[in-house]
Amino acid sequence: MKRNKKTLIAFLLPAMIFFTTVFVYPVIRTALMSLYEIDNVTAKVSQWRFSGIENYIKLMNTPVFHSALWNLLKIWLIGGVAVMGLSLFLAVVLSSGVKGKKVFRAILYFPNIVSAVALAVMWQQYVYSSKFGLLKPLADFFGWQWLDPDHKFAAMLIAYCFGMVGYHMLIFLSGIERIGQQYFEAATIDGANRFKQFLFITLPLLRGVFKTNITMWSVSSIGFFVWSQLFAGTGVAIEASLITPLAYLYNQTFSNTDVVVERNAGVGAAVGVVMAVLVVIVFWITSKLIPDDDIEF
Amino acid sequence: MKKLIALSLAVVMSIGLAACSSGGQTSSGSDGGNAQTDGKTVVYWSMWEATEPQGQAIQQSVEAFEAETGINVDLQFKGRTGIREGLQPALDAGQVVDVFDESTDRINTIFLPYVMDLEELAAKYNYEETAEPSLMSLCRELAGGKLMSIPYQPSLWAFFYNQDILDEAGVTELPTTWDEFLEMCEKIKQAGYAPITCDDAYSTAMFGHHLSRLVGEDRVVEIVTNGEWDDPAVLQFAKDYEELASKGYFVDTIASNVWPSGQIADIGSGNAAMYLNGSWLPNEIKDTTGPDFRWGCFAYPELEGGEYGLEAGSYGAQCFAINKESQVSDEAFQLINYLTKGEADQLLSELSVGIPADTTNTEWPEMLECVKPVMSSFTVRWSTYCGANSNSDITPALKENVLKLCGGMITADEFVANMMAASGK
Repeated sequence: MKRNKKTLIAFLLPAMIFFTTVFVYPVIRTALMSLYEIDNVTAKVSQWRFSGIENYIKLMNTPVFHSALWNLLKIWLIGGVAVMGLSLFLAVVLSSGVKGKKVFRAILYFPNIVSAVALAVMWQQYVYSSKFGLLKPLADFFGWQWLDPDHKFAAMLIAYCFGMVGYHMLIFLSGIERIGQQYFEAATIDGANRFKQFLFITLPLLRGVFKTNITMWSVSSIGFFVWSQLFAGTGVAIEASLITPLAYLYNQTFSNTDVVVERNAGVGAAVGVVMAVLVVIVFWITSKLIPDDDIEF
Repeated sequence: MKKLIALSLAVVMSIGLAACSSGGQTSSGSDGGNAQTDGKTVVYWSMWEATEPQGQAIQQSVEAFEAETGINVDLQFKGRTGIREGLQPALDAGQVVDVFDESTDRINTIFLPYVMDLEELAAKYNYEETAEPSLMSLCRELAGGKLMSIPYQPSLWAFFYNQDILDEAGVTELPTTWDEFLEMCEKIKQAGYAPITCDDAYSTAMFGHHLSRLVGEDRVVEIVTNGEWDDPAVLQFAKDYEELASKGYFVDTIASNVWPSGQIADIGSGNAAMYLNGSWLPNEIKDTTGPDFRWGCFAYPELEGGEYGLEAGSYGAQCFAINKESQVSDEAFQLINYLTKGEADQLLSELSVGIPADTTNTEWPEMLECVKPVMSSFTVRWSTYCGANSNSDITPALKENVLKLCGGMITADEFVANMMAASGK
């Protein structure tokens, strides 16, 4: 028994050391950093200046951070509803025996294997361009421009969602294909049409998949950064309408713009802590709203 | 037996770790090699990308330097983002980086604690004999009186224009006042061209220049830092730009121009006449404009009642600096000296259509000949964007509202109100 414990420890120790080093330590350090004023993210602890909850108070009183949180909520909610709805619809269509399923599936997933930089350039310069963009006529019809400050967020969200649909569709598709055909056959015999089959068989049995998809979407939304930066231009400030908490964190920590401005990695860390709390809240709500699967099929 | 194997493995691992750590401690490798320099290696983190004209010129010159001196250069192209994100952590971690470069302002603020005093080395190599005195003074001024960096590739902000459009519009005199500027815009508009364009990335520069002409850069910094948007100068800026927008002097896509759309599609394609930008603009769009494009340039016009005139402007340079922990500081300075003088400086100027740093390189690229009189007229120096972007919590809102103002989407009063709200007031 004693020997078994030693073996257990020997096997666990490397994993524990790595877990502590790359996860526990950074988490504790970030939480601590959020209570200090720090000029540089790699400054020595002796150079940190204790400021209590000053960084959190600053965040509460900074309108641009409020804009960032509001933008994040819009990305998560509006983008989430659009992406989940569209990807579920496409998954159902593809699983219904449509011809060329593999081709469509590959096409829909394709944006996921293309660099976000290339995609953003394509959307900005060729789709939304106010001079010759593919969707210029639509904007002209409504009397606005896709990339003006009032519509740039919507343009960015559409471009982002376009790329994300294929990813979430694949997850839905795998969930639908897991459902046995016998349920649909029985329902057909009982006189249920396709819509009723979807409503009373497919949807309830996809509950776990929904939970997975919402979790994945939440994770990617919280980490939303690259598209904001790309739509604002690298090396320049991100407009208030595009900024997200992670982009704000990056600005505060690294200040990667042409102009030298005051940095405070402590504020960046505070943003990280706030985001972590938000993630926990979102996951808790998701768990409460969508309980774990209690149906075996 | 098992213990023996374990011991052997431990010894091998220790030797490996020791080798790794010693490899990271020094870049000199002072044993053996070239007789004159002992094969010393200078590690240079460049702010350029290898594919940029500046990167290509530096690559060529570094190779020539190595061949000429026997000093090895470990040239690593990091790009602007790589330097801004990675240099400070690398220096804090004790990683060997002997030479690095960035803008004058960044080197002499953020990186100042990490760099070496270059006064002695500059004197030893008689560096200042052919260096631009105003830029050397600027470097000393920013670093508190000591020479901590070596400037190269100077640049300035001004209105860059298409001479052909001005000729066609019948503009014979360049504007020095705001009224003359408006007259010029009207002529250009009547000739069928959009007078002014800009991209989102540079939009706040218009605010910075205009407000600095009125109240000076220091006051601009106070306004954006303290949220004093009720300063009458802010409203005057907004009204002046509201007028430009209402008279149709901006391209109609100005609010939606995402860089580099404005500079390429408006200036490069000959649809718009002017762009308030840096002297790097001709280089950035030379593939679109071609070699025959006739560039012109004039300083931001004076404003009625403004505190500053044409003598003030935004200019600066890139700067080299040496890590104060460098073991090869002399060789590092030799590299800097080589890159910023003579043929290497000329090559950089030619390939990147930039201003030479060496005063003996009197031949500027043809596209930049127009910059000479503007450069020589500046006696008061403002930083890039003239202080407009000095508050990172405000810049996002400022950028957005300047674009809206130029696009005619908001009025001058709304601009002021929006900025007050963005400052939490």
